[in-house]
Amino acid sequence: MRAVYTIARNTFREAIRDRILYLFLGFAVLLIVSSKLFSMLTVGDETKIIKDLGLGAIQFFSMLISVMMSVMLVSREVENRTAFNILAKPVRRHSFILGKYFGLLAIIVANLLLMTAALLVIIFLYQGEIDLTIFTGAGMTFLEMAVLCAFAVLFAMVTKPILGSVLTLAVFVVGHMTQGIWLLTERLQDAVTRFIVAVVYYVLPNLERFNFKSELVHSLPIPAAAVWWAILYALIFTALALFLAWLKFREKDLL
Amino acid sequence: MSEILLRLRDLRKTYDEGLFKPKKEVLRGVSLEVRRGEVFGFLGPNGAGKTTTIKAITELIFPDSGEITIGGLPHSDLEAKRKIGFMPESPYFYNHLSGAEFLRFCADLLGMETAREEARVSELLEQVGLAGRGDDKLRTYSKGMLQRINLAQALLNRPELLILDEPMSGLDPIGRRDVRDIILAQSEAGTTIFFSSHIIPDVETICDRVAILIDGVIKAVGEVREIVAQEVDLYEVTFTGVDPERLKTGTVARRLGSDQAWVRVVAGHRDALIGEVTAAGGKLLSLTPVRSTLEEFLMRHYEEVRR
Repeated sequence: MRAVYTIARNTFREAIRDRILYLFLGFAVLLIVSSKLFSMLTVGDETKIIKDLGLGAIQFFSMLISVMMSVMLVSREVENRTAFNILAKPVRRHSFILGKYFGLLAIIVANLLLMTAALLVIIFLYQGEIDLTIFTGAGMTFLEMAVLCAFAVLFAMVTKPILGSVLTLAVFVVGHMTQGIWLLTERLQDAVTRFIVAVVYYVLPNLERFNFKSELVHSLPIPAAAVWWAILYALIFTALALFLAWLKFREKDLL
Repeated sequence: MSEILLRLRDLRKTYDEGLFKPKKEVLRGVSLEVRRGEVFGFLGPNGAGKTTTIKAITELIFPDSGEITIGGLPHSDLEAKRKIGFMPESPYFYNHLSGAEFLRFCADLLGMETAREEARVSELLEQVGLAGRGDDKLRTYSKGMLQRINLAQALLNRPELLILDEPMSGLDPIGRRDVRDIILAQSEAGTTIFFSSHIIPDVETICDRVAILIDGVIKAVGEVREIVAQEVDLYEVTFTGVDPERLKTGTVARRLGSDQAWVRVVAGHRDALIGEVTAAGGKLLSLTPVRSTLEEFLMRHYEEVRR
């Protein structure tokens, strides 16, 4: 356990000492703050627009940070051979994977907290009250990123850094389109194609399960069951992706 | 006879070179034994499989077959790994850490008690000559300083077996002397040392025994004196009237000067060479026996492989 914690802490420390993270974070906060300006340009309830834009920005920048950081902190560790120093010590390969994963997750949490705080302040300044439902949105983004980071770790173990980030990005994009993929299976005539599309649907995570933005923006109730399902769903996909990463990395030759 | 600390038995390893290329056999049945307390040199040319062997011992790669034990335990056992201190060949470091932070990170991975950690880190920084530079970022370190911090991390857990992959590479003469002194001090303290090197004088001066690995096969193991003595002596021959490049007899080295030719042959080829030179109308000027050194031993084997 100590090895996992040590590797996670080092991963986190590497990220917070890198300027790229602050660049992303700066842009994210800028976008959240400027959502007030955007709301002026659009017809409709300004608070709703601020919330909608703010939550969207939090999700988008969390995704960008996940993709970037996974390349920088996981792929690079194997590629640059800094991993030699870790793995020649009494450290199991699964501890390395878990350490890297939890390090990434810690970065995501720190960024989410900062971005959420920025959004809360903007809404407070506009509305005069603290909107705690924003935390539900941030929590869902956290679950989504937990799944995405697990896939990022998996891709870092099986492929080269750039391809790894492209594939992680692809999981994010396709993960938000799986509903469409399911509809496609119902319309397809050819059984083989339908089977292939169905496999894609089941293999890739449906990231729309974590999307409660419209409920949050329009202050609609969110069923507790949906939240629990989302948590369980995130846990299953995270565990699966990390297990596959371990299967691949467990006997990988580090050249 | 002293206890065997590291034992490799019939290690074999092939690498996939690509989809349509044949597999490359890097280790072809490497077996050797390192005794507790000795300084063991692992010699061989580039591509012989030295680093592959070391990576197999440290579990960075997985051999196709064979067995590795450290102190009688399988090398994959965490208890066995705790006995090792490993210094990889080229230092790869985190730029974001300072020297001391890097050592603390390694100490945490080794599971060292936090209370002992700080004292050990300062002690090692002092020992490798980096006292006062511990708080500087690794990115500001020179190659020699990185090599020293690399050595320091390998010493953190006071290993029973210190494995060093090319510890002298890229160091200036002072750096080499310092590293050599640290190795010798460790050896005096009872640490078993297994190190690979290209630099033959270093190996000759500090190793109790050496193994010579060529093309994935151990060609010789033993004390330097024994290995050299097993070999047939060399002869240096000078002559005129024949181009040494056209000789059919195998030579170790050759040179054509303005007035005479110079070649070096193994004792077995001596008579054939003299016969060939005189038959071709050349004139023999001198024939001098040369004391064989480890370097010459290696050169002859390297040449054989290249042929």
